[in-house]
Amino acid sequence: MTGRQGHKHTAFLWHRRIGLVAIALVLVLAITGISLNHTESLKLDEAYIDSALLLRWYGLEPEGEAISYDVGEHIITVLDHQVFFNTYPVTTTEQTFRGAVKTAQLIVLAFDSELVLLTTDGEFVERMPTGHGFSDIQRIGIKYQRPVIETAEPHYYMADEHMLDWDVIINDEVSWAQSTTLDPTKMAVLLESFRGRGLTLERVILDLHSGRIFGELGVYVMDAAALALLWLSLSGLWVWWRRSLKQKRKRHYQKHHRVQVEHRPS
Amino acid sequence: MKKYAPLLLLLLLSFDGFAGGVYQEPDAFIAEAFADNPPKADVIWPTGALKTQMKQILGHDYKGLRIRYWRKADRTAWILDEIGKDKPITTGFVTNQGRIETARVLIFRESRGWEVRHAFFTDQFNQVSLNTANKLDRHIDNITGATLSVRAVTKLARLALLLDQAVSEQQAAL
Repeated sequence: MTGRQGHKHTAFLWHRRIGLVAIALVLVLAITGISLNHTESLKLDEAYIDSALLLRWYGLEPEGEAISYDVGEHIITVLDHQVFFNTYPVTTTEQTFRGAVKTAQLIVLAFDSELVLLTTDGEFVERMPTGHGFSDIQRIGIKYQRPVIETAEPHYYMADEHMLDWDVIINDEVSWAQSTTLDPTKMAVLLESFRGRGLTLERVILDLHSGRIFGELGVYVMDAAALALLWLSLSGLWVWWRRSLKQKRKRHYQKHHRVQVEHRPS
Repeated sequence: MKKYAPLLLLLLLSFDGFAGGVYQEPDAFIAEAFADNPPKADVIWPTGALKTQMKQILGHDYKGLRIRYWRKADRTAWILDEIGKDKPITTGFVTNQGRIETARVLIFRESRGWEVRHAFFTDQFNQVSLNTANKLDRHIDNITGATLSVRAVTKLARLALLLDQAVSEQQAAL
């Protein structure tokens, strides 16, 4: 009798404990599940997140400041390793942006130890590692419509019109590239381009529902919540069945006992 | 201290797990290829059929409108990039009369697959040429755990030979 009571008690106790632990996760699952069922009517796929915290969490918020240089009617910007021609991403870089100039045929971008060539329409032409020749570029300028590089020593090199050969020159009459600051409107457009189409509310709710918003561990936590829900339904059924059995026995016993009392001879 | 020795050894081994980096500067490779007397660089602007063939080899358009090369007599040197998994692998090739003379991984930026830098792998490309289907005329053995890097370097070897062919044809037409 004691063992059976203990068993019943354990099932109920764990039903209660797991229910309490899982309540927050089950709430998240239920609310996000209902929301996702009504994505279209709630327009979750049209609502975009602008929380810097969430965007950073998703890796959509750029790190560091934008560095921009005017090249004629265009602007070259480097933002968080991404190189933009106006607002179009053209390539990536791991190096510090040292400036950009427009020559007669090309746009030349200078980084620590490499140059990137673009057409005047922003099409990627070539990436030129500078190697030992003249590494450690400090800035880029222009002279006679040809790019000039200043290295750390400092030495000055001027390229030919096809950017195939470099000559050592003196620092004279070089117009050095000057960085510029993007106005808020251009910066907003650039940020939009950096983030792609952005982060929708639907994506966030979907990731909350699956737990993916917290990475691989989050998925397992949500799996545990689903298992807890399964346990709650089964243990609830078990507790209900035991109770109804007990009540049935009790009624049976009371009825039987009453009958015996009523028929007891006086 | 002795009890921490296995842990330290494990840590050292784990650091050795990433052996990427710059193995040789591209211009040092070019200088070595031409015995410290490299010719002036030239460029090829792939268009039309050449561009299509390059796309067939790489599985995508080549990033860039022109490709730099160095040529002296029948020997041509190429520095080419191709992404293994996430980042480009910079590889240098020297071709001689339509065959690869030297293949060397110069810069490896990925976290895995750096084994392709070793001579046991790159030496497989020695004297390899292209067949009529623009494939290598010799099988290149894979390296377990470096499949994507092996594929990238093999594609670049085919590309170097194709470009060498195109440059030779251009020279012959002059």
